[in-house]
Amino acid sequence: MESFEPVVVAFVCNWCTYTAADLAGTSRLDYPPNVRLIRVMCTGMVDPQYILKALLEGADAVLVSGCHPGDCHYINGNYKARRRIKLLKEILPQFGFEPERLQLTWIGASDGIQFAAIMRALVAQVTALGPSQARSAMIV
Amino acid sequence: MENSNTALVVGAGISGIRAALDLAESGHRVVLVERAPHLGGILSQLDRQFPTNRCGMCRMLPAFERDAASQACLRRGLFHERIDIRLSTQITALSGAPGHMQVSLRTAPNGVDARRCVGCGECAEVCPVVVPDPFNAGLTTRKAIYQPVPHDRSTGYVIDVQACTQCGVCASVCPTQAIQLAQDGRRKFHILVVDDELVVRDSLKEWLLAEGYSVRMAASGAEALEMLSGQPVHLMLADIKMPGMDGVELLQRSRQILPELCVLMMTAYATVETAVEAMKMGALDYLMKPFDTAAMMDKVAAVFQEQMAEQDESIAVGAVILACGSDYFDPRRGKNPYGYGTCPHVLTQLEFERLLSGSGPFGGALLRPADRRPVGKIAFLQCVGSRDLQSDADFCSSVCCMIAIKQARLARERGGAQLAATLFHMDLRTAGLPYQRWGEAACEQDQLRLVRGRVHSLLADPASGDPVLTWLGPDGQITGETFDLVVLAVGQRPAQGLAPLAEMTGLSLNPWGFVRTQAHSLVRTDQAGILVAGACAGLKDINESVIQASAAAAEAGRILHATGGTLSVAADAARTPPRDLSADPPRIAVALCTCDGALNAEGAAAALEARLNQDPCVSRIVFLNRLCTDDGWRTLVDGLNDPQANRILLGACRSDAFTPRLRALVAENGLPSQMVEAVDLRIYDREPSAASRQARVATDLAMAVARLKHAEPVRPPGVSVVQHALVVGGGIAGMQAALSIAERGYLVTLVEKQASLGGNLHWLRQTLDGADLTALLADTIDRVAHQPLIHVHLQTEVQSAFGQVGHFYTTLAPAKAAPHILEHGVTVLATGCGEASTAAYGYGTHAAVVTQKELEVRLADQRIDPQQLGAVVMILCVASREAPRSYCSRVCCPTALKQALTLKRANPATAVYILYRDMMTCGFSETFFTQARREGIVFMPYATDAKPRVTADATQGPCIRTMDSILGADVEIRVDLLVLATGLVPELPPELATAYGAQLDEDHFFRPADFKWRPVEALTAGVFACGCALSPRGVAESIATAQAAAQKAVGILRRPTIAPDAVTATVRRSLCSLCERCIDACPFGARALSPEQDQVLINPAMCQGCGACAAACPNGAAVVSNYSAGQMLAMIAEVVKCDV
Repeated sequence: MESFEPVVVAFVCNWCTYTAADLAGTSRLDYPPNVRLIRVMCTGMVDPQYILKALLEGADAVLVSGCHPGDCHYINGNYKARRRIKLLKEILPQFGFEPERLQLTWIGASDGIQFAAIMRALVAQVTALGPSQARSAMIV
Repeated sequence: MENSNTALVVGAGISGIRAALDLAESGHRVVLVERAPHLGGILSQLDRQFPTNRCGMCRMLPAFERDAASQACLRRGLFHERIDIRLSTQITALSGAPGHMQVSLRTAPNGVDARRCVGCGECAEVCPVVVPDPFNAGLTTRKAIYQPVPHDRSTGYVIDVQACTQCGVCASVCPTQAIQLAQDGRRKFHILVVDDELVVRDSLKEWLLAEGYSVRMAASGAEALEMLSGQPVHLMLADIKMPGMDGVELLQRSRQILPELCVLMMTAYATVETAVEAMKMGALDYLMKPFDTAAMMDKVAAVFQEQMAEQDESIAVGAVILACGSDYFDPRRGKNPYGYGTCPHVLTQLEFERLLSGSGPFGGALLRPADRRPVGKIAFLQCVGSRDLQSDADFCSSVCCMIAIKQARLARERGGAQLAATLFHMDLRTAGLPYQRWGEAACEQDQLRLVRGRVHSLLADPASGDPVLTWLGPDGQITGETFDLVVLAVGQRPAQGLAPLAEMTGLSLNPWGFVRTQAHSLVRTDQAGILVAGACAGLKDINESVIQASAAAAEAGRILHATGGTLSVAADAARTPPRDLSADPPRIAVALCTCDGALNAEGAAAALEARLNQDPCVSRIVFLNRLCTDDGWRTLVDGLNDPQANRILLGACRSDAFTPRLRALVAENGLPSQMVEAVDLRIYDREPSAASRQARVATDLAMAVARLKHAEPVRPPGVSVVQHALVVGGGIAGMQAALSIAERGYLVTLVEKQASLGGNLHWLRQTLDGADLTALLADTIDRVAHQPLIHVHLQTEVQSAFGQVGHFYTTLAPAKAAPHILEHGVTVLATGCGEASTAAYGYGTHAAVVTQKELEVRLADQRIDPQQLGAVVMILCVASREAPRSYCSRVCCPTALKQALTLKRANPATAVYILYRDMMTCGFSETFFTQARREGIVFMPYATDAKPRVTADATQGPCIRTMDSILGADVEIRVDLLVLATGLVPELPPELATAYGAQLDEDHFFRPADFKWRPVEALTAGVFACGCALSPRGVAESIATAQAAAQKAVGILRRPTIAPDAVTATVRRSLCSLCERCIDACPFGARALSPEQDQVLINPAMCQGCGACAAACPNGAAVVSNYSAGQMLAMIAEVVKCDV
């Protein structure tokens, strides 16, 4: 059987996590190519419909990662994301997705090592979870 | 004249960046030079800052005209279209008068072509030279070719020329041939050796060839001349004593052929005088026989460097800001009582900072560097090389107490509840507004243990090697304790290059080698046209550095304006307006850099082309090579010459580096900036396989195509600006703010509720360092009166106000006239502060109990005669620095010293006692503390749980009982005068602040957008504060805040219209249900309901493009351009579609 390679869509904020991702790249740290970054200005602009769209299109997991609380370039966008994602995780099972398929982290600009470690752990976790049912079943 | 619109900023640390950005924001051009090969100074190494334990550096970026600057973490680099950044560059000469200065710059070549370097790191991988990495304060190693700051995508790799052995391995692996070793240069450097003795010629040849130079030889002068006319020679070594034509004659004749030829004479002792004569004739130097090989090679290398180094570039500027930072005390110097360098578990604060960093040696894990053992007990030792007469440091370094508290809290965050931190200090200097609470929280929440006292010495435990500290407690007991790690707060020292710079520019330095500023100014030096910012005038925290840098920018801007530098409003207007694309279907031209075929590995380019061509919006795809070179860029400009294309997608390595050129291209094509996208292909990043790299590149490009395809070409109209400022409050800060704005050519209305200008300066006479405040007041009032652009309204109050940045409406109510409405573009609140009232310590019950202000006034009008005073007690921190007023008022300690010294000097027989908690004599005012103790003033600390007790009866003077820590017993002092330092309280009416959309903090001071990074502006654009409305501060500091606020105001006032940026929110009215959720979501107050309540309006100048509104809107009516739902959903579809 072909090994399962999950697709993880990561919404990363332009200020902190994107810098950390770049730092991981320039520091030549290994992290799985399964993670695809979509840079947004702030995690506070991540509309729940983007997350659902990604999952429904076939992503096996979605990560939202921004600045640590208090670090947000826009003062409180990350707090808004935190509230929104907590709620969304509550209703994800109703769409047929395990709540673990949506994750939120804070990764600061200097945390390149941490970024790579979190990406590795996430991909391992999603691999263990198996393919998202959106790949096999059409959900309406 | 063009030159006078340019300022030079020396040093690109926080202060330099702030000053440069401020000047650029107010329309000036800036050359920002930095000696190091990277930006950011010390801040590039500090991840978190007090008093939040967070970063916020990005908040320095412009809030207006955001598109002119980079929009990314400042650790990744900085771009601004009006700032020319020169790294590895120093100034070598400076002359001229303000407005017309000439500066020479010298850039050290660092071996790597920054434009070609893609930052892949192959070179560092193969480099055999390993040296300690200064970025991690020596706790890790790096190679001789390295990235100065690992986050920085703007600089690429550089070579440490000191460490490099010129082995050339790096150059052989560089995929873009970006590395140019000095060795290559040396081979092209031809040296002609002329000597009649074969053995000399041969040995010289051997030595020079070994150093990598090309060598030719001649046995006589005639032969040499022949060779000079035929082949290139860069340096001639000529023997003086030769048969036939001697060296001197050869020199003369060779200069007829090659007048610029460098000649070194070779001479034996007997002919030294001849050699000196030869130097008068133009020889560069002489080499003495027998040769000292090392010295000789140094001389040759110096000539080589001189000839090969880029020539000094001379630029014309109008003003100069020095922001070159400071160095740190080396604790190994002197007696080294704390064993730094001997005991491996003793670190400096900077080393500990790196230990805590996620990019530090252990990724942020709190381990001892020497043995990687987890850290459980940390001791922080303050004042190492500060406040120490033995190391000639009669000053406080101002920031170390707060850094120690921050590090203790971060360590606790890393190490968890079992981590125990102890802070050994003399005075805990938490002298900024929020710092007292931060320190208290460290003790309460993080169990930081404070120990007062100076640790005598440190010994390593013989068995474990752990550091053991011994100290004398306040109770006289000697205590010993073992710690895992000791952190030394090493003090400031002047930056290494400051003394020569001062000599070159004629600046005077203070006794400790820091730049001396003029009285009442933190930024003016004694050289007109040269201003100072940041730590080169004394170490300071970010808040103060940023304020001072903005103040320096204001002064530089004033000089540029006064000497004819025109603000570049005209240049903004001259930009061609973007083409109207609203009716055109998207047609995307894609240009991809193949990087010498690297992109096309295994025929990937064809697959990529096919994938991109799937989208009908892609009108053409061109593969180009070496976009990083000028030739490559030209092919791009030609290749994209397609009038049909209305969107451009560029794919190349390190696309950040293309930003400046891409902007120019966009302007040329008349495209709105959101129609152009650059994707960093990162083809040299580490990937598991070529297939995964190709998949990622394809996805990144497909996402960019999706984004461009759905980009909306329409932009909202700009915000018009009434170019007129309102300053509320006519104290020294308000007057200075008005002057600083008016001196840049804008109208100012200055409102004061009292009958005269001056505020607290009416009763203050002089400062601690003896500067005359009466004269300052008279001079400032006079300057305001003679400034035609300032309209002063006395006995006038602000009745009400509304509006937003660009257009405020304020109703002014004069005492004796009808109210009228003023329209203005920005507001500066300078409402000041007053002395707090008190009922403590018998105040109000006895005439001999006075406040500091009353003493100041009574000494001035001679109601108190120092000759009559037998004993005086001063109690500091009266109802200050404890709840509910948990902040330090900063001015009381210096005021107490000033008054104590005045009384003592007037009558040395007077016994003066100062009862204090922590003496807050930060910076160079520490020296007055030392002075006061020398003059016999007695300082007695007290604790909040054992405050002094005062009994006062009418017949005798007040009697003060307090605990003396040295005697260990209560003492009783009967005095003729008891002076209370009650601190300062703000006088900013909450309704005034809220009328302009600003807020007050818990202590009723003006709440800045960010205490550290945006200290004088409200989160709501266009509203500023200065002076004591912000937080308590002295006169010079108030003036600096006023200049800083004025600078920010000018940044808005300078143009009649603020154009919206590419990422800005808009409202689709047809979809909006007026639920107002977006208004609540906007952190910047940019959204409001229209007066008719029929639509949501956005002020595009206030919108920062965060998209909180779009995520909050249930109807999709709130749209952020460049991040619209259409774009996002299309991008998501592309990402998920990709193969992993």
